[in-house]
Amino acid sequence: MFPRPRLAGITFAIAGLLAPSAAFSHAALIEAETAQAIRLHAYYDTGTPMADAQVIIYAPDRPAVPWGQGNTDSEGRFTFIPDTVEGRWSVQVRQAGHGAMAHIELHGETATVLAPTVAAGSWVQRAVMVALVAWGALGTALFVLRRKGRPDASA
Amino acid sequence: MIRTHIYAACLALAPLSLSAGSLTLFASGEDLATEGFNAPKLTKDGWALEFTRILASFDQITAWQTDPPFMADSADIAGRALPVTGPFMVDLVKADDDDRVALVTLDAAPGHYNALSWALVPGDDGFSLVPGDDGFSLVLDGIARKDGQEVAFTLRSADIVMHACGEYLGDMRKGFVTEGGEADLEITLHLDHLFGRADKPEDDEMNLDARGFAPFATGGVHDFFLGGLHLGHVGEGHCHVSAP
Repeated sequence: MFPRPRLAGITFAIAGLLAPSAAFSHAALIEAETAQAIRLHAYYDTGTPMADAQVIIYAPDRPAVPWGQGNTDSEGRFTFIPDTVEGRWSVQVRQAGHGAMAHIELHGETATVLAPTVAAGSWVQRAVMVALVAWGALGTALFVLRRKGRPDASA
Repeated sequence: MIRTHIYAACLALAPLSLSAGSLTLFASGEDLATEGFNAPKLTKDGWALEFTRILASFDQITAWQTDPPFMADSADIAGRALPVTGPFMVDLVKADDDDRVALVTLDAAPGHYNALSWALVPGDDGFSLVPGDDGFSLVLDGIARKDGQEVAFTLRSADIVMHACGEYLGDMRKGFVTEGGEADLEITLHLDHLFGRADKPEDDEMNLDARGFAPFATGGVHDFFLGGLHLGHVGEGHCHVSAP
């Protein structure tokens, strides 16, 4: 479904940093590396996190085709590693029939997120906020699972 | 009059190139309009609803290319506008397999139409249930059932509600017109914001604001106000709502 599923889960990143770099006894090889990652926090303007919300990511060069998808964690957080840097990344967050689109402009070392201002009013007018929490070098890891013959891991 | 339409008059009407694509506008009441409220999706107070018709009247529609993207946080949309000549009066029950009713297909300059403004307005011919009245913006006819009761109802509103919406949100991203290509956008009415949903918690904020069916359970004709209900969306995307 997704032509470039290069999402690297932060779970793997943490595991990669904590685990020794030598191969496991089951012939699994771990190579640790660092990558520029975007970490988002999705929540309603009430402060309630969008826990386990669907996230769909669109890359700058193919804005109509999903680049990757996942779900926020219990705190409404989601991390992904873009495979290109420059341009506007769009992130759609949906939950229970409602959602929002956030846009993140990446230019070199600079990242800014275009988020809605908070509209006063009834709950249905409240904005789904997507805040850029981090844009920087995070540890990640590439798993080579030889026994299954897979060249890399997916989140 | 919403200010978006001033922008529409001033900024739009850019000449279309020969390689323009097309943009089709749809309206939808989703499956709740075509299939009704059935268990477990009953109204918040436990009624099953079957609609014989849901007449909606739309006007003052403009599709927009905005950059930075309009985020549905005000009534003002700035960008390249594609105004649509209306009004459109449609029955949301008589929809296609995707629960949509086509309003119009327009020639459109290539680009991403990532905002949509529109209004629910009282209709004219065919919407006046009583000869000589001013018509209604939304009329719902149907049968409600609960615990052996069966109630025929007509719910109607003559309110004008202006919507300034951001990007369509749904299973697919929409509104990308390419040279010679086709794209679409959708006006979506969320009927559960009127009736609530029994399959959601009682303290769900939607259920707290929704009327349910109990206020109409005597049957017959009832007028209701659209204010505060916020039925209008673009798919799952939000709209800024205002009165004229």
